[in-house]
Amino acid sequence: MGALLAAARLLNGILTPLLAAGRWIGVLAIAVMVIVILIQVFCRYVLNSALPWPDEAARFCMLWMAGLMAPTAFRAGSFVAIDTIEAVLPKTAIRLLSLFLLCVSLAVLVIAVQIGWKEVNGIGGRFATASLYLPTSISFDSWYRIPRSWMMTSLLVGIALLILVNIELLIRGLARLFGRGAELPQLPGTIASGAE
Amino acid sequence: MLIWFLPLFLVLLLVGLPVFFALLFAPGALLWLNGQERDITLLYRNLYNGMDSFPLMAIPFFMLAGELMNRGGITLRLVEFSQALMGHLRGGLAHVNVLSSILFAGLSGSAVADTSALGSMLIPAMEKQGYSRKFAAAITAASSVIGPIIPPSGIMIIYAYVMGESVAALFLAGIVPGVMVGVGLMAMIKLMADKYDFPVASQKATWGERGQASLKAFFPLLTPVIILGGILAGVFTPTEAAAVAVAYALFIGLFVIKTLKFSELPDVLTRAGLTSAVVLLLVGAAMSFKTVVSLSHAPEQLAAFILALTENPLLLLFLINLLLFVVGMFLDAGPAIIILGPILGPVFAGLGVDSIHFAIIMCVNLTVGLATPPMGLVLFVASAVSGERVTTIAKAILPFLAVEVVVIFLITFFPAISMTVPRLTGFAN
Repeated sequence: MGALLAAARLLNGILTPLLAAGRWIGVLAIAVMVIVILIQVFCRYVLNSALPWPDEAARFCMLWMAGLMAPTAFRAGSFVAIDTIEAVLPKTAIRLLSLFLLCVSLAVLVIAVQIGWKEVNGIGGRFATASLYLPTSISFDSWYRIPRSWMMTSLLVGIALLILVNIELLIRGLARLFGRGAELPQLPGTIASGAE
Repeated sequence: MLIWFLPLFLVLLLVGLPVFFALLFAPGALLWLNGQERDITLLYRNLYNGMDSFPLMAIPFFMLAGELMNRGGITLRLVEFSQALMGHLRGGLAHVNVLSSILFAGLSGSAVADTSALGSMLIPAMEKQGYSRKFAAAITAASSVIGPIIPPSGIMIIYAYVMGESVAALFLAGIVPGVMVGVGLMAMIKLMADKYDFPVASQKATWGERGQASLKAFFPLLTPVIILGGILAGVFTPTEAAAVAVAYALFIGLFVIKTLKFSELPDVLTRAGLTSAVVLLLVGAAMSFKTVVSLSHAPEQLAAFILALTENPLLLLFLINLLLFVVGMFLDAGPAIIILGPILGPVFAGLGVDSIHFAIIMCVNLTVGLATPPMGLVLFVASAVSGERVTTIAKAILPFLAVEVVVIFLITFFPAISMTVPRLTGFAN
């Protein structure tokens, strides 16, 4: 039992700063999304000359925002689910059921990460983005065309983080099942609602 | 065999698996059992491609705009404006609550934001004037469902994306139904006000006072004009309109009304980002789910099953409304649309129901579901804001829900209610 609590503390120690960093990058990504779309609106409708890169750059940021912020929402229990069954089941049954459900979600995530790895390193990832370039010299005279794999990695990283969160939730669930829930480190509460 | 993923999906949902995982596990498991392992890769690709979408970017932007408006003190100005117009009526603050929701709907498109923003202001004010807390919470929750019906609307963006419809057409089709819900609620308040002798909120405002309140609310009220006007005039796409709404909300919050602080921005961005991230994953998973729905021929089988019940389209629409209402009792509107849209949309398109009309029926019905017990999301928010028990609010909201159900059926059986505006503006046939 001590090992479970130690594992929960270790994962908490890793995930709390990792997800906080992810949230900050996500915040930056949203800000960049807004700015580049506004640049596009300005160029298209005021200067009458649309730029090729803002739409793709904004999608790039949105994918990374989703990948890096979704694990925080999952950890806080903000993934939408129907929880009416909890009202009719005894406490132990609820705990066992939630462990089972976490195993199902872990299975989904583990399969997804394997496919994601192949996709990022496969043919699809080797194609270049349509309009995204990075300067490779200070004088801006040579550019590197960003590959699609940089965009595709967002979902892979998101799923990898979701796996870590899922394992943490499983360990916490087991600790609670054995009556050691009070000794677990505190997690943040619900933080996201939905499109409603 | 593949059709069995639907019951499996339903069971997983009912036992509490998060919708995102259920949308991927059920079809994935059945593809695997069916020996179609290669198609599981297709599920992953569609999850990614489903999220990699420019139109979908309107969701984080509209959420961000709503958050910024909420923090920027815009809600207070809308309430003051509504009070100057309707505060002198019997049941004044209840009318103010509904009118504020209609105005707020043009800015935010979120019922949850509406309930928390207007509820925290109006529920205590209504209590002070002698309304019961349960009534104040109930009318706040009931009127908040106007938020996702009047444009902009997060759930309509999701529907349009998942079903390949025009966001602008759905936005336009939602205007009249949203106003109808508001007018219906006001009519019910009038009936109750006469019966229970509700108080008036304030003396009748002079034209000068009304002018002053209008001036203060002018900039916030310009938001829907910019969003819809820009989209209709072909100046912006909905996504660009949403980004412009963010810039506009930021500008008036920071520099015009000056109630928003720079130090609040990281928190606002974080909240909008977290909520959007969950929605984006859900929409991506819905696109995967949709692929297997097509592969399984579920819509055709479902259509055959439904047509075996009756071939009368009016009766079918009645039955589908019952189904949506029951689903809405247990599931939030966004996930319900994501799940049911790909299954029911093709069925009713095949029966000759206009796709925009059907979209509005689904969106309005499931949005009303946000205020229905036992799992109505806004009931919980209203409970948190007011301190009243959910069950108590659920009883007090029943007369208002009855009004909303009547509106749903009016929209269902009189397509002109939702279709006239998009047809007149050339966004629907």
